[in-house]
Amino acid sequence: MPLIFRLASAIGSPVRLGGITPDRLRDMSLVEIARLEVLQGNVSVALGDLFRVSGDGADGRLTFEGDLAGVHEIGRGMTGGEIVVRGSAGRHVGGGMTGGAIHIHGDAGDWLGCEMKGGLIHVRGSAGDHTGAAYAGSRRGMTEGTILIEGSVGSHLGASMRRGLVAVGGDCRDVAGLEMIAGSILVFGACGRAPGAGMRRGTIGVFGMSPVPLLPTFRAAGRFRPLFLRLIRRDLERLGFPPRDELSGEELVLYHGDLVGLGKGEVWCREDGGTP
Amino acid sequence: MNVIDSRGGRPAVESLDGRVVDTFAEAFPMTAARAIITADTRDWSRIAAQTMTGYATSVIACDAEAGIERALDESETPDGRPGFSVLVFAFSRDALEQALANRVGQCVMTCPTTACYSGLPAGEKIVSVGGRLRYFGDGWQVSKRIGGRRYWRIPVMDGEFLCEETFGTTKGVAGGNLIVMGSESGATLRVTESAVAAIRGEVRDVILPFPGGIARSGSKVGSKYRGLRASTNTAFTPMLRGVVPSEMPRGVRCVYEIVIDGLTLEAVEKATAIGVRAALKEPAVIGVTAGNYGGNLGPHHIRLLDVLARFGETA
Repeated sequence: MPLIFRLASAIGSPVRLGGITPDRLRDMSLVEIARLEVLQGNVSVALGDLFRVSGDGADGRLTFEGDLAGVHEIGRGMTGGEIVVRGSAGRHVGGGMTGGAIHIHGDAGDWLGCEMKGGLIHVRGSAGDHTGAAYAGSRRGMTEGTILIEGSVGSHLGASMRRGLVAVGGDCRDVAGLEMIAGSILVFGACGRAPGAGMRRGTIGVFGMSPVPLLPTFRAAGRFRPLFLRLIRRDLERLGFPPRDELSGEELVLYHGDLVGLGKGEVWCREDGGTP
Repeated sequence: MNVIDSRGGRPAVESLDGRVVDTFAEAFPMTAARAIITADTRDWSRIAAQTMTGYATSVIACDAEAGIERALDESETPDGRPGFSVLVFAFSRDALEQALANRVGQCVMTCPTTACYSGLPAGEKIVSVGGRLRYFGDGWQVSKRIGGRRYWRIPVMDGEFLCEETFGTTKGVAGGNLIVMGSESGATLRVTESAVAAIRGEVRDVILPFPGGIARSGSKVGSKYRGLRASTNTAFTPMLRGVVPSEMPRGVRCVYEIVIDGLTLEAVEKATAIGVRAALKEPAVIGVTAGNYGGNLGPHHIRLLDVLARFGETA
């Protein structure tokens, strides 16, 4: 049985749950857990004042219930175990996590999985800006792990990411893969402006039917059937992402870029219309 | 029923059929890997697998022993294309890595539309294959980590060659064998072919590395010539009967050997039992025996009568 946190009432000021992770709570009693202090706004409050806590966290599973759009940093820094959010979650979910899994049965805010180093985040709804990206001033975004978003995402998806996989079932906004170092970003809907701007290496796949607005510093190589996408498809299915026929070996257009930099990145898309 | 005493060539003890020599095959541990080869079509995956396993019959003079284990359908391969699984055996992990890298590089990467993956779990003991071949990409190779495994995408003239970075290895068993002795060459060959087909059809985790699964030039250790590690197995060479000590029953005019390498001792034993049973279906087969070195070299002794008893008709 998981440890269950039910939001007691609507929260006013935003709450930061950084450090409330399965590994930390595994050996604590309900009383000890309820006494843990978290920040609400700029005030420390007891966890038990915000949530009704029940269940048992010995198996490393936490469940959050309620509208947690104002609750931030869920699973931040977690190293293992599982967190399930039945509802929407706030910003910075899974930031810097190194292991374990976070499942959000709703939407997630900005900075989802920022600088994560391992593990899995699966969002059934949509996510905000800067998913899997680097924080301001940091050199690298996510360096390992997988982020699955069945809905859409905002801008700066995977900015400066170094490794790992991000799959988006819907659309993404501008500059996905901005200054990407390596890793893979797959977007199955439409894509905003300038995907891969400044990318050094890595893979961006945009499988929506609308033209991909690439920068003029990308060069077309032709149409190919990339085999590695079949392996990714199988891995996505294993992780519970809805099956995507786009990855089963159809012919795609390959672009190399961004030639303002190293130019060893690649963008795969279905149509070559609207490209430089 | 009687079996033939391997020392005297005469019936000795009660047994299955009276044609099985009460002796054992002497097998050795070898390091093994499984390669999964896929291609756009069944034909090209077969061509790659056959080419990769060429000149790999025996470590007497080859860098490895290799063979096709079985065909794989689309649901069994990592990329959903038709393929073949190939087993490769060598005396050390270093030798195995060298043989795999050479063979995958020269025979699979060169073959149109192919890809190559490890077919064994990546445990502590691994060898680098894609990790060595990636340099062929001349700086344009790309690595992808998918599902916890790393792959190299090497650009080639028909697209890119996808190869897993490392292959898992295991301690396998090589040198299992059975020797079919017949009175008539055509019938003996046909029944040995049937034995090969039965083994390949019923047993996984094994290969029969010789051409068509059959060796006609069985060897003994050493030679009258200095420096020659192996020479013709005079005791089983019918044309030398009368001038050298023979281990063949009277009437034998043709002998074929099936060598079996497997990932586990049990798989080799099961294959041996199935092969012996298949051989005994032909009346022209006078006896079935196995090759050994007196039991002093290999740690695995596969006694024909024991495996026939353990792996019955339903084996």
